[in-house]
Amino acid sequence: MIKRSFIGLTEPKLKCDLVEPGPKEPEAIPIPPRLILLLNEPLDSTKETLVKKGDMVNKGERIFLYKESKEYVAAPVSGTITTVAPFTGDFGELATYLVVETNAKQDIHKSFTESISIPDIQTADSYLRGIAGNPPLKLLAEAADGAKSNGINIKKIIISGIDQDILCTTRQFALTRFRDELSKAVAFLKQLTGISDISIVMPDALAKLSAFNGMNIVKISSDYVDSLSPMLMDKYLGISFVPGKTCEELGLCFISVEALFSLVKSYSQKEPVYEKIITIIDKKGKKSRVSATIGTPIHRIFTKIGVETAEKDRIIIGGPLRGVAAYTLYYPVTPDMDTLMVQDSSVIPTISDYPCINCGKCVRICPTNVPVNVLVRYLEANLYQDAADSYDLFSCIECGLCSYVCSAKIPIFQYIRLGKHELNKIELEMIKEAENV
Amino acid sequence: MFKQNKFTVSHAPFWHDGDSIKEMNLNIMAAALPATLFGIIQFGMAALGVVCLSIASAMAWEALFCVAAKRPIVIHDYNAAVIGMLFGMMLPATLPWWAVITGTFVCIVIGQQIFGGIGGNPFNPTLIGMAITSLSWQHLFDFNTALVNYQLTFTALDPLAALKHQGASVVAMFPTSSLLMGKQIGAIGSIFAAGLIAGGIYLIIRGYIRWEITLSYIAGIVVTAWIFNITDPVKYATPMFHLLTGYTLLGAFFLANETSSSPVNLIPMIIYGVIGGCLTILIRNIGAYPDGTIYAILFINLINPLIDKIRPKAFGTIRPKNSGKECKQCVK
Repeated sequence: MIKRSFIGLTEPKLKCDLVEPGPKEPEAIPIPPRLILLLNEPLDSTKETLVKKGDMVNKGERIFLYKESKEYVAAPVSGTITTVAPFTGDFGELATYLVVETNAKQDIHKSFTESISIPDIQTADSYLRGIAGNPPLKLLAEAADGAKSNGINIKKIIISGIDQDILCTTRQFALTRFRDELSKAVAFLKQLTGISDISIVMPDALAKLSAFNGMNIVKISSDYVDSLSPMLMDKYLGISFVPGKTCEELGLCFISVEALFSLVKSYSQKEPVYEKIITIIDKKGKKSRVSATIGTPIHRIFTKIGVETAEKDRIIIGGPLRGVAAYTLYYPVTPDMDTLMVQDSSVIPTISDYPCINCGKCVRICPTNVPVNVLVRYLEANLYQDAADSYDLFSCIECGLCSYVCSAKIPIFQYIRLGKHELNKIELEMIKEAENV
Repeated sequence: MFKQNKFTVSHAPFWHDGDSIKEMNLNIMAAALPATLFGIIQFGMAALGVVCLSIASAMAWEALFCVAAKRPIVIHDYNAAVIGMLFGMMLPATLPWWAVITGTFVCIVIGQQIFGGIGGNPFNPTLIGMAITSLSWQHLFDFNTALVNYQLTFTALDPLAALKHQGASVVAMFPTSSLLMGKQIGAIGSIFAAGLIAGGIYLIIRGYIRWEITLSYIAGIVVTAWIFNITDPVKYATPMFHLLTGYTLLGAFFLANETSSSPVNLIPMIIYGVIGGCLTILIRNIGAYPDGTIYAILFINLINPLIDKIRPKAFGTIRPKNSGKECKQCVK
């Protein structure tokens, strides 16, 4: 953990980690006997599910919850479904989790293999959602299909070779690992999506590698917030950030290097890729990399590479500033899980219910000039709409630095996310109501 | 299923820079210590008694009020201790015990707790206490009479009171070096200018006070005093004299910077400081009181919420450079 320095005249500057030179190949984690899959659709007790306990699935077969379902999860292995149960996410979003018991005999489901003669975004979306790296196929397919686009018009694709948090290096690793095949992959992506404006963002330290000569590269510094999508878009791509709008709504689509190569490989091997590269950071900060099948419970990874966890430790999916804490070692590897971090119970910082003392450290460090000291007072009082109208709630790019420096240890970042979440929920409800009238 | 460990689950960020309110307050107290110790050496056990009683009673009042208001007792964050210490530093060494206790009651309860405790006070609590007690018992705060029984080796006159009554001719009686080294009479913690400056610089380097406020406050003092001084050098003292006497340095480094009653944005901090410095000199030179620091800072506390609205535009709310898209904030 980076602590405050003795000299506090200027605000601390956090740097993103760079991938180590000459990285080792990730250690392969064997396919476990049971896998856990998360399906992004809630269970409805009034309806009968299509998928039932005891069903057999083949590798690559799509599992739909109901007949009319549009969301699916593909089975990363052949096996038998043993559990279908409800699951609640971080902000109370409802989903379903499935447990698949691995079969000894691995068969590949034929439907994808049969329909891939030419790369096409709609087929890719129909079969390849949730492959390693989680390429934004749904977004691209809907944007390409005018009727479903919701006003989203993707004009530019950014292949992201930078990580979203200070300790993470998985995307950078993928970039160096696959660098020689990158130009071919870019050509493939152009063919698949029909979008020709494709740039690759990477830390400027990596851009020196000769493999990237002649490509459309955007070099960014290793200062922490530069790597976050809205900042990157505004500072390096010249597209102005608009509060309350996502990068996608402004015509940008981000795809990680790993997701791109999963797509390329899925097509070239005629078989979806479900092996996800994950960087593991143990309690001492030592990093190692593994390649695990999506759905693998994370305890399998920890046992395999000898990372110990004890009572009251914290398991973090993602990095130290923007990650999510997992409450169980049975949490599965998900398609977009780049980093797993274990924090020892003795170093976990506390939070408090102190009021803001107006010390101004958050205002100094905020990369987006949000008046955090006033904003947090409104958010604490549940005045979310006022916070958004007068105090720039939606200008926040969620870097987490305000909570990192807060002397009063107020969970500012969580207040901000909660405020945004509540406002978005109200907006969605209003849209729904308008549709029903 | 076998036994599972229970993990700590919370939200991001999972790191913290390790700073805390307690840490900040301990640093402020450490920075105030040289000047206080000097005052204690100068004025003896009476001064030690006043400072200790002030700190202790401030903490006691906070604890008592928290009990009465059914709030958690948080004296371990040393917030009350800092208020008590600064209050003690502003007192003459001979102040009777009951005045000290009444003063800290005003500081803690009226100055801070009734506004909701730490972070809620619109005014610097120490100065609320000072203003009310010094107005209530003016004779106790006249340094010349309060310290009349001390046998001192230097000019035993309150420099600011002397200035008020006799004009700028008194400046010659107080050479800069002796003011810096504490050879003046005044409050326990305000006479040793060099100690206050050292403590203040320490706090600036550690980042516990906003240097913008301190510097602009001093700049306000120097510029205003200089203008007065060149218009009538016989009547008005030099900037250096004003800087090293009275509560000026205590105000610049410890009082104007009180977190919850001062602004956090750059331009407001500068306006706040300059107005504070300017008012201090105005009160001293043309006002009724010998030292204007208390009221000047209380006044800038009052305008703080208003001027702190001047702030930089947030990310994305500046009109887009290239696209014609209207942004939410601009429309409003």
